[in-house]
Amino acid sequence: MVKPLATTLLLTLLMTSGLTQAQHQTDDDGFKRPLQHLELNPGLDQREFERSTLGALNVYDPLESWNRRVYHFNYRFDQWVFLPIVDGYRYITPTVVQHGVTNFFSNLGDVPNLLNSVLQLKAKRSMETTARLLLNTTIGVAGLWDPASRMGLPKQREDFGQTLGFYGAPAGPYLMLPLLGPSNLRDTGGLVVDFSAKSQVNWLNVAEASNSHPEITLLETVDQRSTVNFRYGQLNSPFEYEKIRYFYNESRKLLIVE
Amino acid sequence: MPLVHRLAALLCGITLGGPLLAADIDAQSYGYPLTNPFEATIATTPPELQPKLPADADIDQQDYRVKLRPEREFELPDNFWPVTKMGYSLAEQKGEAPLIFIIAGTGMPYNSSTAEYLKKLFYGAGYHVVQLSSPTSYDFMSAASRYATPGLTGEDADDLYRAMQAVRAQHPHLKVSAFHLTGYSLGALQAAFVSQLDETRRSFNFKRVLLLNPPVNLYTSTSNLDRLVQTQVEGINSTTTFYEMVLAKLTRYFQAKGYVDLNDAMLFDFQRSKEQLSDEQMAMLIGAVFRFSAADIAFTSDLINRRGLITPARYPINDSTSLTPFFKRALQCNFDCYITEQLIPMWRARHDGGSITQMVDQISLYAIEDYLKNSSKIAVMHNADDLILGPGDLGFLRKTLGDRLTVYPFGGHCGNLNYRVNSDAMLEFFRG
Repeated sequence: MVKPLATTLLLTLLMTSGLTQAQHQTDDDGFKRPLQHLELNPGLDQREFERSTLGALNVYDPLESWNRRVYHFNYRFDQWVFLPIVDGYRYITPTVVQHGVTNFFSNLGDVPNLLNSVLQLKAKRSMETTARLLLNTTIGVAGLWDPASRMGLPKQREDFGQTLGFYGAPAGPYLMLPLLGPSNLRDTGGLVVDFSAKSQVNWLNVAEASNSHPEITLLETVDQRSTVNFRYGQLNSPFEYEKIRYFYNESRKLLIVE
Repeated sequence: MPLVHRLAALLCGITLGGPLLAADIDAQSYGYPLTNPFEATIATTPPELQPKLPADADIDQQDYRVKLRPEREFELPDNFWPVTKMGYSLAEQKGEAPLIFIIAGTGMPYNSSTAEYLKKLFYGAGYHVVQLSSPTSYDFMSAASRYATPGLTGEDADDLYRAMQAVRAQHPHLKVSAFHLTGYSLGALQAAFVSQLDETRRSFNFKRVLLLNPPVNLYTSTSNLDRLVQTQVEGINSTTTFYEMVLAKLTRYFQAKGYVDLNDAMLFDFQRSKEQLSDEQMAMLIGAVFRFSAADIAFTSDLINRRGLITPARYPINDSTSLTPFFKRALQCNFDCYITEQLIPMWRARHDGGSITQMVDQISLYAIEDYLKNSSKIAVMHNADDLILGPGDLGFLRKTLGDRLTVYPFGGHCGNLNYRVNSDAMLEFFRG
C-alpha cells in the first residue's frame, strides 16, 4: 500500500517540477537565462553598433573648432554665472510665483507658435494654439495660469526654424551659439525671425515694455534657464560635444516632421 | 510505515538542519507588471507603482567638489577642466541622522537618475545621503582614481574609500549617528569590497550594506553586455542604421499621437503601440548604451595613462581640438577590448603576471566569498532575470548569503528598484 503511494507521489513531484521547468526554462537556482532566446549573430562579429554610431557622427560641422570653444565658454558661463543666478532666483522666489512667471512667458511664446503653425498650414494645431492663447490670457489672468493644458490642450512648439525645415530648407552648418547653446544656420535665422515677430505682435505690451525695462528680459532669460533641465557636463562623457550635436540634430528632425 | 517515518525524519532534517534559504519572492504575489527583462531594464517601473518621494525643492541638497588628485590639473589636457575635482552630492537632514553612501553603476555619474531616485527614497526616510560617481565614470576616473584604469575592484574600492573619507572631512559639522552603504549594478560589487576594506580601516564602521543587482562574475557581466549588440535586428539594411530605425519608429509613434511629449509614461505607451521594439532591438539599445560607457572608459584611461592606444601620447589637445577621431577609435573598443588591451596589461605589470582567470577571481564577488558568508550586515537583492548574470551566479549568491539574499522574479537589470515593493524592502533592511 505504502510503496506505490510513495512512488506515485515521487513521480508527480518529478513531473510537476519538470513541467514548471519547461514553462519558465529556469535553472535549479532560479536563474531565468534572459539572454538565451535572443537571436544572436552566429559569429558575434557584427559591426552594426559601430556602423550606426560612425554614421551618426557625420554631422556637417565646418566650424567645429570655433563651436568647441563656444561650448567650453558656455559651460564655464553656466557654472560660474548663469546657474548661481538661477539658484538664487529659485531660493528667494516662492514656487507659486515661479510657476506664474513660467506660465506668463510661455503664454507669450504661444504667439510665434501660432504664427508658425499657420505658416505650415497646420489647421488643427493653429486652432488649438489659438484656443490656448485666448483661454490662458483671459481665464488664466494674462497667462499667469495655464488652464488650457489642464483642459487637454498641451503646448505645441513651432518655431520659424521648424517652418523653414517644413518647407525643405536644409539645416546648414551646425552652430554652437554663445549663451543660447546648440543650433544650426537655419534655426539661428528662425530665432531672429521669431524674436522680431514677437516684438512686432507686442502681445500684452510686453515687448514694448521690456525696451524701457530690461529687467523683464532678464527675468525671461532666468526663467528660461531654470525651466530647461539641461546642464553642461550632465552626459558625463569626454565626448559630450558630439553627443549634444547628434541629439540636437535628431530632435530638430523629429520636431519638423511631426 | 517505517519508510514514511524515515522520509518524514529526512524531510525534517533537510528543512531544519540545512542552510538558511534565500527569500524567493513569488511571481504571482509580487505584482511587478513588466515580465520582459529588456522592457523592465529600459522603462523601469510605471509611475503609478513607484513609491512616494519628496520633491527636489523639499530636499536640502547641494553639489560639492573636492580635490583628491591635485596633479591631474597639470596632467590632463585643457578641455578636461570640468573634471579635475571630484563632484558629489550631499543631502542633509536637520540635526543628527544616519548617513548613507550611494555608489552609482557602470559609467554613471553621481547624479544619474537611479542614484537620484535612491537619494530621494532614503532622504524621505530620514537619512543624510551622499551620492558618489562610479569609479568607471569619466569624472571619477579623471579626478579621484589613482590609476585611472577601473575594473580591478579592490583598487576601485580603495579609491572610493578615500573619496568617502574626503567627503566626511569636508563636512565636519554634519551630525551622523551611523554609516550605511549601498550601490547598484557595478556599484554594488564595489560596495561589497568597500565594506570589507572598512573592516580594517575603520573610518565608518558601516552598520548595514545593501548590494542591489551586483555582478557576481565581472567577466560574465561584461561579456553579456558586449554580446547585446550582436543581436540580429529586423529592419536594418544597407541604407538604414539601427539608430535611424529606432528614430523612425519614434517619429511614426509621435505622428500618430499628434504631438511630441517625452515623459516617464511615454515609454510604456510606446511599448504598447504597434511601433514597439522587439527583444532583439531592446537588447541592442541596452548594449549600445554600455558600449558608449566602454568607449568613454577606454578613451579616458588611455589618455590619462598616456598609453597611446587611442590618443597618440603627447598629442596636443585644447578647448578647440576635435575629439571626434578619437571617439571613432574608442567606439570600436568594447569591454572585452578594454580588458585585453588596458586592464590585463596593467594588472600583469603590477602583479607579476597571472592569467585572466586569476584576475577575474580577484575582481569578482568570489574574492570576498568568506567575508560575505560571515558578515551579517551585508544583504543582496537581485532579480531572477537580470541580464548581467550568468548560469550559476544566483546559486553562488544563495550558497554564500543564505537568507540575506532576496531574489525577485522579474525586473531585468535594476528595472524594479523603483517598484514600491522593492523600495519598502530596502528601507526595511536599513531600519531593522
